[in-house]
Amino acid sequence: MTDKTLVIGNGPCARSIAEALITQGAEVIVATKKDSADISSAEKVLSNTKLVSCQDSAGSFNILMNRNGEELSETVGNVVIAEEAVREPDFSSYELTPSPDVISLSRLTGLLSDGKSDELSGKKIVFLTGLAKESSPVILEDIMQSCLRLQSNFHAQTYILTKNLKVGGNGLEALYRTTREAGAVYVKFTDVMPEIRQEKDTGVALTFTDEITGEKLRLSPDITVVDERIFPSEDIAELAALLELDTDQNGFVQADNVHRISVLTNRKGIFAAGPSRSIHSPADQVTDAGNAVISVLKPEADQPETAAQVNKGLCVRCLTCYRVCPYRAIILNARPFVVPEACEQCGICTAECPAHAVTIKELTRDEISDQIIKGIPQKKETTTPFLVAFCCRRSAVRAKALASCMGHTLPRGLRIIEVPCAGGVSHEHIFSAFQNHADGVLVLTCHEGNCHSERGNIHARKRTDHISGILSETGFESERLLIRTLASNMAKEFADIVNGFEKTILDLGPSSLSQ
Amino acid sequence: MPDKNVLILGGGVAGLSAALELARFDISVELVEKTGFPGGHAIQFSCKATDKCVKCGACVAEEKLENVTENPKIRLMRNTCVEKVTKSDRFSVTFQTGPEYIDPDKCNGCGVCLEKCPSAGAVMQGFSKHHTPFYAICAEKCLFIKDGSCNVCQEACPEGAIRLDQKPGDYACEADAIIVATGFTGFDPKDKPYGYKVFPNVITNLEAERMLRQQDILLRPSDNKPAERIAFIQCVGSRDASLNHLWCSKICCGSSLRMARRIKARGPETEITFFYIDVQTFGSDFQGVYEDIREEFRMIRAIPGDIFRTDDDRLQMAFLDSNTREPAEEIFDLVVLSAGLTPGKDTEHLAGLLGAELADTGFFSSSRDGIFLAGAARGPMSIAESVASAGNAAWETVKYLSEK
Repeated sequence: MTDKTLVIGNGPCARSIAEALITQGAEVIVATKKDSADISSAEKVLSNTKLVSCQDSAGSFNILMNRNGEELSETVGNVVIAEEAVREPDFSSYELTPSPDVISLSRLTGLLSDGKSDELSGKKIVFLTGLAKESSPVILEDIMQSCLRLQSNFHAQTYILTKNLKVGGNGLEALYRTTREAGAVYVKFTDVMPEIRQEKDTGVALTFTDEITGEKLRLSPDITVVDERIFPSEDIAELAALLELDTDQNGFVQADNVHRISVLTNRKGIFAAGPSRSIHSPADQVTDAGNAVISVLKPEADQPETAAQVNKGLCVRCLTCYRVCPYRAIILNARPFVVPEACEQCGICTAECPAHAVTIKELTRDEISDQIIKGIPQKKETTTPFLVAFCCRRSAVRAKALASCMGHTLPRGLRIIEVPCAGGVSHEHIFSAFQNHADGVLVLTCHEGNCHSERGNIHARKRTDHISGILSETGFESERLLIRTLASNMAKEFADIVNGFEKTILDLGPSSLSQ
Repeated sequence: MPDKNVLILGGGVAGLSAALELARFDISVELVEKTGFPGGHAIQFSCKATDKCVKCGACVAEEKLENVTENPKIRLMRNTCVEKVTKSDRFSVTFQTGPEYIDPDKCNGCGVCLEKCPSAGAVMQGFSKHHTPFYAICAEKCLFIKDGSCNVCQEACPEGAIRLDQKPGDYACEADAIIVATGFTGFDPKDKPYGYKVFPNVITNLEAERMLRQQDILLRPSDNKPAERIAFIQCVGSRDASLNHLWCSKICCGSSLRMARRIKARGPETEITFFYIDVQTFGSDFQGVYEDIREEFRMIRAIPGDIFRTDDDRLQMAFLDSNTREPAEEIFDLVVLSAGLTPGKDTEHLAGLLGAELADTGFFSSSRDGIFLAGAARGPMSIAESVASAGNAAWETVKYLSEK
């Protein structure tokens, strides 16, 4: 184990994380692909450096880097990804071609901050934002700040043409009012967008109907400023692939999953902060930096004693476990090996292993069968079907507890089998339930996109679908097996699902296997 | 830092998150919540998943509360309000506690008190299994507390857990730092021309969240029938210069549109109309979601004028149709007002006690001198943002304590 932390990036977010960690006495290595790094106080600052590989798991990642062709290796306890995002102007969406009078928002803010703003004096400047694709508060803030300077310092006349004005950021509604008082004109569009024409000689012309007055208007700006959209940089994509991190639908690091709030990733010991995870406003980046620092300084307590284990005698080295582990907690030596510190005990590997070589103490066939047998009703009445519900600890178990608190009536023959993740419910477990006289078997898991193990619920569904198929082929009613998703806070929904299922089973009568 | 003690004011999602972060540093935490039900607004919110999770974060509050309850470093005090704060080297704080009308050790959660209570709203039900007791007495509505005229619940309780003549107590603690996580108060739309509190079928988005949470469906309060035509009105009390509320409440577009989609997913025949100024971005897949929303719902860019009740107990709404630029009228079964987020009721009083500064908006402005801010006490925030804000407040606190 090492306390060293590798911070990847060179922007304000990376800088504040590295500096804060150093003040707390942590050893920090900063790596950036840029040719200079602005962080001087770190133990090691590596510019022109890219990550080549990352082996092993939380506590001791073995990192290989390349610095100007020279190979460097480091062992670090944590990795923080704090790379910058890229902004791309949306010229083509507006059918515009960049020219001296059609510029991007970054070009404009550059002109304003470089003091080369004489050419903006007294000009008529139109901003196009969120007309083609929805914009964001961080872009609107840049636009409004620019407008304010243009109106107040350069006697320019600014127009903002937009669809939905994204004032959902701190202080933006007040800033919007201030820009209006300074003379900025806002024109909003709902269904019909302005007609935009760009001619070589005459420049840009915009024609539209004002939605409030119905008046036909025409604008011929001196300068047209096109808004930008924010994308993950290639570096972010590369890092995510290399470190085997889940990404959101836009390619930013960190799956769009509430269990990763705020800087967590699918891997213990690897954190994502700021633009890397699509947090772009400067204030929110400061918040993210604080979260990254606190996560590095005091990681969650480990519970390695219940981690998955690979039985060497049974393992056939098919690498299924390695492939399916959502936390990348399985490494390959001569055989697959579970790193206890990185294992989250979801059990997906145990359920997927075709050789039954991977086990987790509480998820073994015997353990689960014992629990099912204990639940078999003593005196079997035909009116109370025996229902076995495999419940994910994070959702269904909590929903069940709340349903009981709220006084919802639940089926008398319902037996809850608590599992760390429904992805760990194997074929064997489900068959064991039917063999042990269950009239119906429920698998209750988290909603898609809400699984802590990211794909545990998808594995569970695949498995139950497969078993349903087998049951149908043998003539056994496949309705006796049901998978449903729900959230931890939905007690009524839990009650409705289990009561509805009881009714289905009552209609079917006792299972032929329970006679 | 086992010798350090931090006081957190407010047991909402921000306070809970900050407490858990600090506990990981072996810091002792006193987490003080003024109501009987910790978890704040978030723990009352509904899951808004349709077939997939839509990342509203409502389930996060439940998990945080569970972790706090189980954490030996955190002492969670319910029904507790700050009375006085003095600072020398550390903070000395005194509180008023209780009255604790229901004894948590005796209450078995049977719910007889709620069943028998003749005054609507006087017995409140919890939202989490970690709400112990699962019931609380609302002093403003309880008839015993009003004039001593009723003690039905006390008589009915099979465990003898209810004592309505309880008096408040006091409590004191010393703290090395304070985190203010007192959250927000939902705007009260009674002065807006929408008939809130006059017509039972005009409710706020926070009430809709609770209703969906408890019943899984939006029913008309007047007759408990499912609403077939629902209108959502956005920006009620936000972005409103007449109130000097110059802020966007940030969370309402996401809350209302996600609720609307859940309602539509369960009842595809429900007709939903949205009245809005600008739709704010929520979620990382917003572009696609927004395109779907424009197909699923009628979106009208207008702030309705007023609402009247029709003879058949429906709601007639007048507005300027943005398409025709003509006045129009529509009939709805239920109207949901997206009431904005305003500074917490006690914010000014608390700022006075703490010597903390407030921004022009009336929310707390900035952390200083051992007092740190987390969550919506700083301004409107989503659940995810509140958790992040709390993480950062915990970091600021740790840094302050390590330098002290």
